[in-house]
Amino acid sequence: MEATDENKNRTTGEAPAEIERLKEELRREHEMYLRALADFDNYRRRVERERLNTVRSGKREIVLPLLDVLDGFDLALAHMGDAPASVTEGLEALRRKLLGLLEAQGISPIVSLGETFNPELHDAVGTVESETFESGAVAEEVQRGYRWGDDVLRPTRVRVAR
Amino acid sequence: MAKAVGIDLGTTNSVVAVMEGGQPTVIINSEGSRLTPSVVAFTKTGERLVGQIAKRQAVLNPENTIYSAKRFIGRRFSEVQSEIKNVPYKVVAGPNDAVRFEMMGKQYAPEEISAQVLRKLADDAAKYLGEKVTDAVITVPAYFNDAQRQATKDAGKIAGLNVLRIINEPTAASLAYGLDKKKNETIMVFDLGGGTFDVSILDVGDGVFEVRATSGDTHLGGDDFDKRLVDWLAEEFRRQQGIDLRKDRQALQRLTEAAEKAKIELSSALETTISLPFVTADATGPKHLEMKLTRAKFDQLTADLVERCVGPVKQALSDAKISERDIDEVILVGGSTRTPAVQSLVRRLTGGKEPNQSVNPDEVVAVGAAIQAGVLAGEVKNVVLLDVTPLSLGVETLGGVMTKLIERNTTIPVRKSEIFSTAEDNQAAVDIHVLQGERELARDNRTLGNFRLEGIRPAPRGAAQIEVTFDIDANGILTVTAKDKQSGKEQRITISGSTQLSKEEIDRMVADAQAHSVEDRKRREEVEARNNADSMAYQVERQIRELGDRVPLNEKARAEQLIADIRELVKNNSSDVARLRQLTSDLQQIASGLASAAYSQASSGAQGGRPGGTPPGGGDDVIDAEFKET
Repeated sequence: MEATDENKNRTTGEAPAEIERLKEELRREHEMYLRALADFDNYRRRVERERLNTVRSGKREIVLPLLDVLDGFDLALAHMGDAPASVTEGLEALRRKLLGLLEAQGISPIVSLGETFNPELHDAVGTVESETFESGAVAEEVQRGYRWGDDVLRPTRVRVAR
Repeated sequence: MAKAVGIDLGTTNSVVAVMEGGQPTVIINSEGSRLTPSVVAFTKTGERLVGQIAKRQAVLNPENTIYSAKRFIGRRFSEVQSEIKNVPYKVVAGPNDAVRFEMMGKQYAPEEISAQVLRKLADDAAKYLGEKVTDAVITVPAYFNDAQRQATKDAGKIAGLNVLRIINEPTAASLAYGLDKKKNETIMVFDLGGGTFDVSILDVGDGVFEVRATSGDTHLGGDDFDKRLVDWLAEEFRRQQGIDLRKDRQALQRLTEAAEKAKIELSSALETTISLPFVTADATGPKHLEMKLTRAKFDQLTADLVERCVGPVKQALSDAKISERDIDEVILVGGSTRTPAVQSLVRRLTGGKEPNQSVNPDEVVAVGAAIQAGVLAGEVKNVVLLDVTPLSLGVETLGGVMTKLIERNTTIPVRKSEIFSTAEDNQAAVDIHVLQGERELARDNRTLGNFRLEGIRPAPRGAAQIEVTFDIDANGILTVTAKDKQSGKEQRITISGSTQLSKEEIDRMVADAQAHSVEDRKRREEVEARNNADSMAYQVERQIRELGDRVPLNEKARAEQLIADIRELVKNNSSDVARLRQLTSDLQQIASGLASAAYSQASSGAQGGRPGGTPPGGGDDVIDAEFKET
């Protein structure tokens, strides 16, 4: 009992400083708590956003290489030359099928020819002389670009009129 | 509460990272990429473009598109003559022999260009974090002199950032691996990026890093490897088809991309195919490029590039006055260090030491800078380091299996509860056996404690609801409570040592569980099959008793036979899962038949029975795990 009383007296003696210290500690702890809450809140919102993005980026891994295949069709069709019409038609049908599959996922080609060069949509690989197009406009599509909803999935590779 | 970020301001690409909840995170820029090209452009319409977008228009606007500004920052015009030859934009002398870029009649300091890149990174970080970014730690190569460091700091200021500190890239990489906690070690940082090679030797002690030597090659990097491959492919193609693809800009672009892809594939595969259909055409028709490339061939093509790393490494060792044996840690930085030949060279030059490479080498510098930023902003200190439970926690349930309530690596404090039931009619007490470990069966795990909850109200088996709660507080103290929901009776136990296992113990227990996972799962399946069968037998027996005479005699005989078979198997602890499941399903069918028969009779006025076919414990939220008989 005596010991307890002594303790009590001592704490009373140091009370103001002790209270200040505890207040300070409380303030710090509270701040840390708020920080953690804020971090968590931001984190939760971002996780939600990222969850949607993850679905997309998973698809992206499949879709981007598919665009390569689609490019192959574009290139092949440009080289058909003397091939029988039925072969060309068959190839066309295959290309349309693949494009339709991508379109069902919300992917669509970017229309670039004649548009003013815009680095958000276009990746310039060079310039060409052009009589058809104004200087600064896309004169040639080297590789078609695609949109995915509002995003640019792959910019169009272009040559720009000088 | 503004955040402090770490920025790796690179020659070719830049990366920004931030500490979040005590963990470094690399930030994805507004174009969805983790790397931002260090490129700034001014368009004819007066627009300013930064990053990927600026890069896309570089060909159209080469004289107003600045890349590699880092090669000029803080240097004198007279020092950079050789660099000027490599760039298409105009570099002029400013006041006091300073370097200036001249675009559309205006002069820009390299600091102003770098500031644009820093600003974009900070803006993207702010967008990602949803809060303002005001403070940053920026990294520079270890060989940067005072003027270059000051200029980099000024770039930060121009970008509106409060630069907390400029730190060396190799120091940042070491921080990313937590090497600041080491006592008196010597670290070699081997940084082979897109266009530059740096090797640094550092000493660390008491959290202080000292650069002892640096060396390198300012024009050696991954791009050189790509070019080697492009040249080889083009040469092979020319030999076969007589056409030089390098003369066709479009073909060259496809070739360059395919070469980079092949290089990356050969980091993990021993062989890859490079396929470019319709790559070009001549009078005879379209031409396709289709070539196999082995890692051995790739190594042969790039052997001299890899060898060019040897000189600087030896130079750095000799400048530091140490031998390869004195190196304690090796860190790989830069995407090109993923190349197997580069990694084996590093091992060869460091006496066979296994390099640190678990942190993405493209991001490791930014990650280290973020850690430093976190420390300087007081964040790392302020963050309460949240602990995790190293092993799973649970209770023993019917048949001696462990039912986990808290999975391993769950962040604490945490509280989980589940409802269990009794295994016998009128069971008056349950034993709670608190377990820790990853094995399926209780006896293979560690016992943390035992207690008994008594005074459960008499009820048929499966009807009592015992709520078991596991609560671990922030100090790792576990309290397990069991409560009979009907009577309100409660018992608890507090265990304080649940998180205080040595790392070795934890690793051993986890490895043990992995080693035994197949047999454990099999044994658990057996137990569950026996439990389900026994429970079904009990249910049908009760159903028959309740229905009495209304059960057709042949059905009753068949059911009793099945029940007897099950009881026999359960008694002998049979491991014949297939047979147990078959018997259970046969019995279940009879049960459903009985229920509908009884129901149709009941609807014609007779007393209703308990609907059969209900899985044990089903129908309410009592889970399918019961305490063993006490």
